[in-house]
Amino acid sequence: MEMFSAWKALLRRIIRRNEEVELDEELQFHLERQTQENLAQGMESEEARRQARIAFGAMGRARDECRESRPGFWVERLFQDVRYALRGFRRNPVFALTIVATLMLGIGTTTAVFSVVDRILFRSLPYEHADQLVSVGMVHSLETQGFLMGNTYYIWRDNQKPFEEITSEATGPHECDLTEGTPVQLDCEPVEGNFLSTLGITPVLGRNFLPEEARPGGPDVALISYRLWLTHYNLDPKILNKTIQIDGKPVRVIGVLPQSFEMPRLQNVDVLRAIMIDEVADHSANGGYGSPRRVFARLKPGVSLEQAWSAMEPLFHDANKQIPADIRKDIHLSVRSLRDIQTQNVRLMAWVLFGSVISVLLIACANVASLLMARGTSRQRELAVRVALGASKARLFWQTLTETMLLSIAGAVAGYLFAKGLLRLFLALAPARLSFVHKAQLDLRVIGFTLAVSMLCGIFSGLIPALQRPNAELLTGRAEKRMTHASVRQLLVAGQIAAGMILLTVAMLLVRSFRNLDHQQMGIRVDNTVTARVTLGVHKYPELAGQAHFSEAVEDQLRYGPGVSAVAVTDSLPPAPNQNGGRLNQVVVAGKPPVTAGAGEVITSRWVSPGYFPTLEIPILQGRGFSQDEVTSSERPVILNQILAERLFPGQSPLGERMRFGKLDPDSPWYTVIGIAGNVRNSGLTDKTVPEYYLLRRYGSDHWDTHGVWSRTVIFVVRSSAPIETTVQWVHSRITAVDPTLPIDIATMKERVSSLEDQPRFQTVLVSLFAITGLAMAIIGLYGLLSFLVAQREREIGVRMALGATRSNILRLVMGRSLRLIASGTLVGLALSLMVSRMLSHLLFSVGPYDPLSYSLVILLLIFVGLMATLIPARSAISVDPAVTLRSE
Amino acid sequence: MPPSSDLLQGTLDLLILRSLALEPMHGWGIAQRIQQISRDVLQIGQGSLYPALHRLEYRGWIQAEWGESENNRRAKFYSLTKSGKKQLEAELENWERLSSAIALVLKGA
Repeated sequence: MEMFSAWKALLRRIIRRNEEVELDEELQFHLERQTQENLAQGMESEEARRQARIAFGAMGRARDECRESRPGFWVERLFQDVRYALRGFRRNPVFALTIVATLMLGIGTTTAVFSVVDRILFRSLPYEHADQLVSVGMVHSLETQGFLMGNTYYIWRDNQKPFEEITSEATGPHECDLTEGTPVQLDCEPVEGNFLSTLGITPVLGRNFLPEEARPGGPDVALISYRLWLTHYNLDPKILNKTIQIDGKPVRVIGVLPQSFEMPRLQNVDVLRAIMIDEVADHSANGGYGSPRRVFARLKPGVSLEQAWSAMEPLFHDANKQIPADIRKDIHLSVRSLRDIQTQNVRLMAWVLFGSVISVLLIACANVASLLMARGTSRQRELAVRVALGASKARLFWQTLTETMLLSIAGAVAGYLFAKGLLRLFLALAPARLSFVHKAQLDLRVIGFTLAVSMLCGIFSGLIPALQRPNAELLTGRAEKRMTHASVRQLLVAGQIAAGMILLTVAMLLVRSFRNLDHQQMGIRVDNTVTARVTLGVHKYPELAGQAHFSEAVEDQLRYGPGVSAVAVTDSLPPAPNQNGGRLNQVVVAGKPPVTAGAGEVITSRWVSPGYFPTLEIPILQGRGFSQDEVTSSERPVILNQILAERLFPGQSPLGERMRFGKLDPDSPWYTVIGIAGNVRNSGLTDKTVPEYYLLRRYGSDHWDTHGVWSRTVIFVVRSSAPIETTVQWVHSRITAVDPTLPIDIATMKERVSSLEDQPRFQTVLVSLFAITGLAMAIIGLYGLLSFLVAQREREIGVRMALGATRSNILRLVMGRSLRLIASGTLVGLALSLMVSRMLSHLLFSVGPYDPLSYSLVILLLIFVGLMATLIPARSAISVDPAVTLRSE
Repeated sequence: MPPSSDLLQGTLDLLILRSLALEPMHGWGIAQRIQQISRDVLQIGQGSLYPALHRLEYRGWIQAEWGESENNRRAKFYSLTKSGKKQLEAELENWERLSSAIALVLKGA
């Protein structure tokens, strides 16, 4: 009702524009009538008018009160304030633009980064009641993501209590080929029949798997991803029940996954297929352990993670008895929320980014507040005049706040547009592996965040100047200009310098860490090397002989390319630890006591052709590399890397020693050590070098398969002096010459190595960007404050100079203040930086969180830039002409 | 200063409504009338009179019309509306009750 009458009154006022005039006329009439009355009582005409005016009181105030008594007044006043503010901005556009630009930078970067980190830190996962979803499994030092072997899984599945539903997917990778038209390599994830229903996912088209489709001998059916549906089938609704060719076999499509669908572990998926679980067969597979799988479950309502863990503990205890005693201690039960699993690697980085932009935002807000305060001080005269004319303090408060809010809104709009551009830049910079970044977008949630941030910033930066009390005494010109606001501004500037210091320190540590990463000795040559990876499909290459034949044919072709100096075939490439591997205590050396159970160190192995060491230029430190003759012989040579050799044979030569791998399998053959290779830093982003051994990959014999699972992945490595593009094209053409249907993943070694650095590069670039933005804003703030202070004290400086102060006295006066600000900001910033960097030590590589070089550089930079910001105001201070000052006194 | 600022807002409204019950009047007239009838005890300053008039007008209790004043000038005349009359009756009743209650308390004390 109140609202209604307010709008009605407003409407009436707009239609009847003369209401103001009428009000004036009415009041004027009153005044005249009173004057007449006074005259009639015999007063002089001057006196009569004076008395009438005294009786009347302040005309302006009466008018204001009349207006304020109208119901729609607040709306009207808002319009008035807005009009007044806009007029002010037009009069001083540089001021308004500076504030809007500062806010744009602050709000824009914050919004863009928020849209990225939102997915990691705050957004719910795209599953129904995602907070109930957990990952269940065993973890150990090799496998921190959690897994269960089949035999354990069946027992747990049938006996568990805390979960509403439990499901699993096969451990990957699961490459498959879409063998229609141009062959495409896809990711085909085999999952249990109830996988999607456990996650709470309904296909956008078609249906989920039926139980019989996940049993052995069931029909070959698949759900395809939205992306595959879009890129390959053009969103054809007739895809349902269509039969597609996967690895040359017909598979019927029964559904399409939602666009937002993602696997619980965020791996890429194009096709979901049902695992054909044959429990009986699986029990005997893999030495009685069954096939490994990743297990996910939905908690029953009201069951917490801890309760679920306790409930599963007895089952884990039983299962643990089957595990070989020597690694039992290393294995733990894990029940973790899905979100935890998904974000473990990037959460810290997300917080770093978020913290950085919040700092930038705070600096921006402080700058805006400082600017507004400076303006407030220079406007004190205007405000004092308005108070003298009868404006109430509340009125001025709202007026000032309106101005600030208008600026914030403009800043928010500009910031939103800026964020849009910035996000595009992020997406261009972001490594492909960080899938969450690529899903970032400026949706309603992010816009809401922007609005909230800009309003908060507006209120924060508007409140301080709005609370300034205009002082009517100023009008007499006698009152000293009060300096209290200047001290608040000094506090803000010191705070900005402190925040800038934190940003710079984090950026500097990341940059130094990244440089170390970039320069670290890989142990291999990365230039002039091209790699090509193919996966031989089960359908086309069912037999070992066929696979071997393919490898041999391609290797032969590659050897005689332009400028080719070496060719290798391998199952895996540095810089990544091979997934095949084991533990140190699974290695048996002939004639030596077994390695004790406590030494559960991870070792990895690779199957390589004789060309491997020369191609990657890995030095053979002792003995020799594999020879071409050994490929066809029945010898079983092994080459150890330096670390493994030192572990197993400390202080002696391992050449000629015999060893066996896989302690669990007593039938495994003996290998003879023929050489020691240099260490290769395979763990990529960490300092550690892992013990490794190399086995010979052969053709035409099944010797190489006795050790483990033959990987269908074949990687060709070619070193050539020809231009790299030529080599890439040539390698590609040679492989297609042997088999034109195979999808080929081809890359230079440099690309592979540098892709490892994508994530650190991304965070380093971003944080540095924010640090530079923050520093620039802090410096602008310092500069603005000092210029303002100098301008304010111009008269004082002039008097001082007239009284004999030298220029260096004056310089000391101005610079001293600046230095004090820089010093106090730096000190506070230093203390905070030390705390922050300690939390970030996980992100750092070969740099301590208290790296003295980084800190000294940052402090020097701050002082240098701070002094630069001081120079111009200081120059204008010493160029004050005392004569001019004295004349104006 | 006259006691106008001490007048309760509701009381001022009541006085205005009561004055207008007799005939339409302009603002100055209302102030004069109240002053005369109260034998110069109540002097209504314009500072509070006009906001009150505007308030009452927006509430719909009085209405305004431009007319000719006693000295042949254009002036704004206020008159009671229907709901204004009702309001006056209700407020008078309220006032009676309140003042007799206060009188009782004062006598009894």
